[in-house]
Amino acid sequence: MSFQKRLLSGEFVVLAEMNTPKGVDTSQLIQNARRIKGRVDAVIVPDMDDGVMRMSALAGAVLMHQQGMEALIHVYCRDRNRMAVQAQLLAAYALGIQSLVVVSGEEICNGDHRDARAVDDLDELGLLNAVRLLEQGTDLGGSDLCGAPSFTVGCAIAQCRDEKALDRELELAGKKVEAGAKFILSPPVFDIRRFESFMGKAKSLKTPVISTVYLLKSVGAARYIATNEPEAGISEELIRRIRKASDREMECVRIAAETVAALRQLSQGVRIVTLGWEHRLPDVLDYAGL
Amino acid sequence: MITAERKPMEDLIKFVSPYRRILLVGCNECVTVCSAGGRKEVALLSSALQMHFMKEGKPFEIKEMTLERQCDPEYVEELVPYIDQVDAVLSMSCGCGVQEIARRFKEKPVLPAVNTKFMGASERQGVWAERCVGCGDCGLARTAGICPIARCSKQLLNGPCGGSTRGKCEVDPDIDCAWQLIWDRLKALGMTDKYEENLPAKDWRPARGAGPRKIVREDLAS
Repeated sequence: MSFQKRLLSGEFVVLAEMNTPKGVDTSQLIQNARRIKGRVDAVIVPDMDDGVMRMSALAGAVLMHQQGMEALIHVYCRDRNRMAVQAQLLAAYALGIQSLVVVSGEEICNGDHRDARAVDDLDELGLLNAVRLLEQGTDLGGSDLCGAPSFTVGCAIAQCRDEKALDRELELAGKKVEAGAKFILSPPVFDIRRFESFMGKAKSLKTPVISTVYLLKSVGAARYIATNEPEAGISEELIRRIRKASDREMECVRIAAETVAALRQLSQGVRIVTLGWEHRLPDVLDYAGL
Repeated sequence: MITAERKPMEDLIKFVSPYRRILLVGCNECVTVCSAGGRKEVALLSSALQMHFMKEGKPFEIKEMTLERQCDPEYVEELVPYIDQVDAVLSMSCGCGVQEIARRFKEKPVLPAVNTKFMGASERQGVWAERCVGCGDCGLARTAGICPIARCSKQLLNGPCGGSTRGKCEVDPDIDCAWQLIWDRLKALGMTDKYEENLPAKDWRPARGAGPRKIVREDLAS
């Protein structure tokens, strides 16, 4: 069953995030994808995540299709003006991509091409509106299309510093839903109780929420997030658990899997983000019982 | 200078319609020079608005002021005695002045009466043209004092493109081809060897690559 159908029928969806290579050697990407084929509903391919130049998400998604796997791509306007992004959307549909996630790109100054110029022609709402117009058979210039695409579009909610910021973010998410978003990707979940409270608020959006699980790769990574993003909810107890484990790597996998399992009751799906450790996805799925 | 043009009258009427008492504030700097928002333009706009609302039979009060510089907090302070007597401020300065008033008077609506256009120079009486985009890394030494970022329609660092015809730009025959201007000037200066140098991809970091910019002069900052 396709991602779209599972989402519409209210079934739990499992998504795995897979980055494209920085280069043209796609063997690792394909190998990692094959390992989880049939175990996830779709793969999410970010587009130059974290502002790091890589092979385009569209190419990554087509490679997934060639492996018989459904893929969603990230779409945003940091690097593309409205013409380029519409062209990308038409190309994506023609190449079999049926689902998108409209996101905001990482700031250029945080990426690996810091001297580049950002485009930022449309914001997320502007882009969602562009998608809707294309679906109605018109482009942003007002011209009719020769064949209109149709997408299942989602949006993302950013990690928020405090409740006030979260309220604003949820208000913005409400606008995104009005503009056509059919599902919402949550910020990474490290604390189930915090997520329950988040879901209490997100319920008002009346839109399926797909929770996000990050695979923490080390004590250092956990400590870094805990220090720089305290709002993520990484506890000292969690860091201690990784530190004290005889096999820390496996402990990280177990933690991610436990979070995935717990989220099955709380959200309509999960996005597993392994941040370069895509080869550990099968282990996460095993331990999560998926 | 920063150039500006007054917004259409119908927009301004729409802006001020919800209010009865307006403080119309001009600026003695750039917008005075480009005849968009100085003392004279303040008087003209004030009369036009009064006539409009009088014709409509709507009560409307407007107070006129023109500050030395609206982008400077010490001059904006001069509005203090009047700010509580009005419902909103209509500013005829560039966007910097509008925002300075908004920053100073947090509870008061501030509306822009002009569209801020570009940093430019006067070509002749009544004509201003774009000269600088404020990219933060001036390359005029390499291009004979003519900026291809501000003046080439494609912002080419190594021009001209094929659309340059008899010194004019394909976008509009009224626009001079910046690279023709650069070449002509390099020739006049005997520096055509400069044209042979390929300019590398521009580093856009100083141009806003890291968000809104700020200059901090430690020797002057209080």
